[in-house]
Amino acid sequence: MTRIGFVLDQRSCIGCHACTVACKQEHDVELGVFRTWVKYVETGTFPDVRRNFSVMRCNHCTDAPCVSICPTQALYKRADGVVDFDRDRCIGCKACMNACPYDALYIDPKTHTAAKCNFCAHRLDQGLKPSCEIVCPTQAITSGDLDDPDSEITRLVDTVPSKVRAPEQGTNPKVFYLGAHDAALDPLAIAEGREYISQIPESQKIKLQALDGTATVVSDIAHPAPWGWKVSSYFLSKGIAAGAMMLAVLLLVVGAGGSELADVVPGLLALAGIGVTGIFLVWDLKRPERFYLLFTKPHWTSWLAIGAQVINVAAIVAAVFTVAALFDIDGLRDALRWAMVPAGAALAGYTAFLFNQCEGRDLWQSPLLLGHTVLNALVAGAGALAIAALAIDSPANVETALGWSLTIAAASSGLIATFDAYGRHPTAQAERAAKNLRRDLYAAQFRAGVVLGALLPAAAGAAFLAGAPIGVLAAGGAIALVGLWLYEDAWIRAGQSVPLS
Amino acid sequence: MGGINRKGARRPTGYGPQDTRFDSYPPHDQWDSWTGLDAQAWPRRVEREYMIVPTVCFNCEAACGLTAYVDKETFEVHKLEGNPHHPGSRGRNCAKGPATINQIKDPERILHPLRRKGPRGGGGWERVSWDHVLDAFAEKLHDAFAADRPNDVMYFVGRPGEDGFADRFLETWNCDGHNSHTNVCSSGGRAGFGFWSGTDRPSPDYANTKFALLISSHLEAGHYFNPHAQRIMEGKHRGAKIAVMDPRLSNTASMADYWLPTWPGTEAAALLAIAKILLDEELYDKDFVRRWVNWRTYLQQADPAAELTFGNFILALRKEYEQYTPGFAEAETGIPAQTLVQVAHEIAEASPAFSSHIWRAAAAGNLHGWLATRAVMLLNVLTGSVGSPGGTSPNAWNKFIPAPWRKPAANTQWNERNWPREYPLAHNEMSILYPHLLHDGRFEQPVLLTRVLNPIWTYPDGYSWIRALRDERKVHLHGALTPTWSETAWWSDYVLPMGHGPERHDTHSYETYSGKWLGFRQPVQRVAMEKMGKHVEFTHEANPGEVWEEGEFWIELSWRADPDGSLGIRQYYESPYRPGEKIRLEEYYRWMFENTVPGLPEKAQAEGLTPLEYMRSYGAVEISRDDYAQHEEEVVAPEGAAVEGLEDTLTLPELDPTHLPLTGRGDRIATLVDGVLRRGFNTPSRKLELFQPDLAGWGWPEVATPTYARSHVHHSLISHERGEYALMPTYRLPTMIHSRSGNAKFLNELSHAHPLLMCPQDAERIGVEDGDLARVETEIGWFVIKAMVTEGIRPGVVAASHHMGRWRLQETEGMERWSSALVTMDEDDETVLFRQVHGVQPWQSEDPSSQRVWWNDAGVHQNITFPVHPDPISGMHCWHQKVRVTPARPDDRYADIFVDFGKARSVYRKWLDIARPASGDLRRPIWLFRPVKPVLDAYALPQDARTEEARARAQAGGLPDPRELHKIVDWSPDEVWGPVAPVAVAARGGRR
Repeated sequence: MTRIGFVLDQRSCIGCHACTVACKQEHDVELGVFRTWVKYVETGTFPDVRRNFSVMRCNHCTDAPCVSICPTQALYKRADGVVDFDRDRCIGCKACMNACPYDALYIDPKTHTAAKCNFCAHRLDQGLKPSCEIVCPTQAITSGDLDDPDSEITRLVDTVPSKVRAPEQGTNPKVFYLGAHDAALDPLAIAEGREYISQIPESQKIKLQALDGTATVVSDIAHPAPWGWKVSSYFLSKGIAAGAMMLAVLLLVVGAGGSELADVVPGLLALAGIGVTGIFLVWDLKRPERFYLLFTKPHWTSWLAIGAQVINVAAIVAAVFTVAALFDIDGLRDALRWAMVPAGAALAGYTAFLFNQCEGRDLWQSPLLLGHTVLNALVAGAGALAIAALAIDSPANVETALGWSLTIAAASSGLIATFDAYGRHPTAQAERAAKNLRRDLYAAQFRAGVVLGALLPAAAGAAFLAGAPIGVLAAGGAIALVGLWLYEDAWIRAGQSVPLS
Repeated sequence: MGGINRKGARRPTGYGPQDTRFDSYPPHDQWDSWTGLDAQAWPRRVEREYMIVPTVCFNCEAACGLTAYVDKETFEVHKLEGNPHHPGSRGRNCAKGPATINQIKDPERILHPLRRKGPRGGGGWERVSWDHVLDAFAEKLHDAFAADRPNDVMYFVGRPGEDGFADRFLETWNCDGHNSHTNVCSSGGRAGFGFWSGTDRPSPDYANTKFALLISSHLEAGHYFNPHAQRIMEGKHRGAKIAVMDPRLSNTASMADYWLPTWPGTEAAALLAIAKILLDEELYDKDFVRRWVNWRTYLQQADPAAELTFGNFILALRKEYEQYTPGFAEAETGIPAQTLVQVAHEIAEASPAFSSHIWRAAAAGNLHGWLATRAVMLLNVLTGSVGSPGGTSPNAWNKFIPAPWRKPAANTQWNERNWPREYPLAHNEMSILYPHLLHDGRFEQPVLLTRVLNPIWTYPDGYSWIRALRDERKVHLHGALTPTWSETAWWSDYVLPMGHGPERHDTHSYETYSGKWLGFRQPVQRVAMEKMGKHVEFTHEANPGEVWEEGEFWIELSWRADPDGSLGIRQYYESPYRPGEKIRLEEYYRWMFENTVPGLPEKAQAEGLTPLEYMRSYGAVEISRDDYAQHEEEVVAPEGAAVEGLEDTLTLPELDPTHLPLTGRGDRIATLVDGVLRRGFNTPSRKLELFQPDLAGWGWPEVATPTYARSHVHHSLISHERGEYALMPTYRLPTMIHSRSGNAKFLNELSHAHPLLMCPQDAERIGVEDGDLARVETEIGWFVIKAMVTEGIRPGVVAASHHMGRWRLQETEGMERWSSALVTMDEDDETVLFRQVHGVQPWQSEDPSSQRVWWNDAGVHQNITFPVHPDPISGMHCWHQKVRVTPARPDDRYADIFVDFGKARSVYRKWLDIARPASGDLRRPIWLFRPVKPVLDAYALPQDARTEEARARAQAGGLPDPRELHKIVDWSPDEVWGPVAPVAVAARGGRR
């Protein structure tokens, strides 16, 4: 076997950036993004102070999360262990950037596709070492075959104590650091960022601002959050669709035969929600015109690829259900109402697996995530149906069922959100992200989200059940949709708010 | 690399990889035709055909090897890697090597010669032909040469990047017109070494050293950054310890075992304390000192009554150094006495494998900075670590300059524009004074040719330069030879685009290890074309646009200046191979490689190549290695020579007045050591001159022996209570090179911020927080800069990097836009205020990257607010500044710059007044190094009224003790700028 890896010898690195520039030249890497870079970290107080030079790059993980999550096999592992990529296959979904625990990937501003260190695979295949290695004045970079007992890299790893970045992520990196200070490798060891030789990009400054370590970063690069409002909106639109589908059965079962609120409306809501979800999903792609690759080149380890099929199935079920409801084909409708539940649940819940697959974001590794997605979908579905109930006459038991649904779902969702934000977190990164959510960077939005998305809707639902008019329930539903978006958006941003490099 | 085979033995790490499964470079035999895989198309396997042509980097002075991948279809340069056959750089480079690709492809570069339209500096330019340019300058040259006024022409050079070519064309013109950047750079470093050994640069053998003492930052800048950094780290892995003396935490200090953050300018106190420990504890190398130091000369002046014995010498020296106790050094420098004792013991333990290096840094920052050089070399001398493996050698042993075809005779002129009488011991030209001498009305400049020289930005006192250069009565005609726009080119008459590293020919050789090599820079596109059978007459035909190379420019210009040969110039530009015809640049190098590079013809022949083909193919050749202990080389006395003087110097009966060696005396050729004639060093005595008689003889006896004198930024002159600090404005970054790297986008992206470093206590005292704006007042102006609060600086000292602060006056022309800010310039009779309109911002160009510029900081042009500070002995500009730092005032904006010309003039006069002009028969000691050395007659000092006056002043006595000069040149911010307002309003929100 061959396992190609790097040793980065911090005992020799002088922070000169030759590797950074040689790499930029070799791969014509655009301004603002880097395949390899050097972070400067200062530790200590005068005169016992030093500047540490952290060479950061793809770890060519043995168990590479970016490869697993890539929905189109654009990222792949070569036989020699190098994690390489094919820009022509990339749809720009940025899932890899959230899967990577090392901030190693970026979107190439020229091709709008994901890119990273590929170990100069085009050179390796010609028997040449990577560009960064040959340029290094002090030979601080050594590449080679970790499975070859005669290689220099094996000798170094076997005889000199070494570290890898974020070993707790279980990715088994193949980039080893010799003689590195903890603060050089631990992105959370930082107290703040100060501008020494270069400006620290705004997005990175915000991330650094929240940290409470002891070292000072004096040179760093940008890693803007890959996912933003389009993904938050996708969460909501998909939630409405999935919730409506799951609630359709409830409404049908409690005997809503004949009310459009129990069949046509949930069906149409589901279809509309799925449609809008599709729009958000494709819109968020950096190469939207390539979305078809999800279906022609699917990678079945990726929950993004699986999710696309889940959405397809949900869309078909919802479409047939809706048609059956519209044309009063009751037999078909009643048969399908049982399919609506798993289809809706899957539509809601697959996202939990997708976010779980984002190994770089510890906040999203929560065991509560599946509950979170399903419950929030129910809140969204109930909320949307409650608004519809204003316009559409429906039997009282249907409205009561909606009331109970909104109340219970919103209350449970609030509990989960609270546990998520205030509970114990297994890793320091998750704890930092949770603090950013509940206390620091996104606290206001988070609190507004919980109040509007859970507390008020639950209260409105309860009030309605206690005899308030339907308008109160509808208002609770509307507020719930706003609150949910705020909450999801804060949660998504907080998850991406911790520096990984 | 050697090392021990891993089979059966485990070897230490740090010697680099030894496995051979992957290569670093394509094999040399495939360089003419290399098929590479396209990285952009990958993983599709798209093949590209390249010719790999070696050349030499032209960013810093290290001259590292590069190889250019020239596309065989388009002849475009695809990329630049290292050259594994270059002995100095060994295939490796710093960031600036690969960044050369940005400079070649810079959309902002100048591709055609431009002529000024309208007033100087008015910003009007028109494209002209090279023929016009050459004729215009050739006519002026012809007039000057024909009228026997060769010094009307000045060649003023920033980075030479070559050895010998310029010297030769100046000599063919019989012109003493060489002016150089050296006294803003290394005069202080050089002078100290020169007075010791006659050789002005050190060559530390880092790879084999056991203890390296670095005064400067050789792991990121220094002289020969990449070649030396490689070897310093190699030495460290082999067990060497590193000590770094620097008030600022450089990257180098970060990697060091000892960081010694001395107060700036006190370095010599620490070094002499170490020397005292070595002497007192008898840790010095008695035999070496006895054999190679001019101790008799020392003893005779130190204690004229004493018998000339080595024991008496040691007693006398110990007496002289009695004052330099570790306690004294601690009080002066801030370094604990115990640390100095420990370092002294480490040095003794490591000797003779003790190496040291000082370059720029303390030597360039301080009044008497050259004394730090004297003191650090003293440690090498005392420990016998001179010319030893792991020690420090004179650079001449590790540098090789081949003689060119038809070497002209030395010129007969002396040019007081460069070598004013006030500075007879100056190590190089007094280039910083050039504008002031013009303002004094001492001379005019009919023809000025500047080459990669940007004094308006790089030099101190740039506003005095602006006022001189734009005055057509002072400078009649100014051509700026430069690859890229600069602030100075803006005020020239002609902007003449010259090639970057891979677009020109040069040879060079530098002391990067204990061997000698010769590197060959070549225009890679031209070479590729020629190898593929295309005829190229001039390099500009192969270069982008009409970019010339200087070698061809000088040949053409000289030929046209003497078209019929009547001035005797043309003969030097005739081909050695085609008599009477104009030499091709290729023939110049061909002749040199065939005739004056030892071993090269044989190496070439072994490969079936001509010497020129060999150099074209490899880009470098190693001349020798392990060049240790050359002072011990035995000499056979020629007829008529006699051993003379206290130091038993083998002396010829006559000195050849037509040829003075660059350094040393032609009539002093060896010294008798323990009965054997040995080559020794390039001093008049051929010994290492602990006591330097000419320092004493030319008016400075107090500092003729390595000593300590306080600098103009000494802590006794600085009151923190009044807001005063020592400013270190000189430090370099590994990614930048003066004003020559602004055109490399990858480098600017990595380094563009320009903070004023200060420690937390000082920030509190000043009243600023990290990121706030501060106003820094110098003796002639002030600038506004952002504070960075850091633990990495000595308290009481503030520092800002030398690199940033580029500016332009027009949006689209005058400076590349990767690094410069657009500014306005408001002047009245005496003052100027520069204010930013905007910082760096994206713009449209043929390179889409220009729209993706994400930084906006262009930094602050601090140098223009510094007055000239010529050291009275070395001539070095003393860069450090006593400044006052306050929070910015409410109207201050980031990067504001204010300068008062009148104040600049008076500071110039104040420092001029502490100089001690030549007052004897000679302009300067004839043995001292001087570039383009003229004949002996030119050294005669005119016995005119000025000389009389100088003589009278010297003879009257009562000149101040040099150890008191710092008080004379001191200034008070309160007096110049008024006391600090009691309530200074901090400009918060200065964060950008």
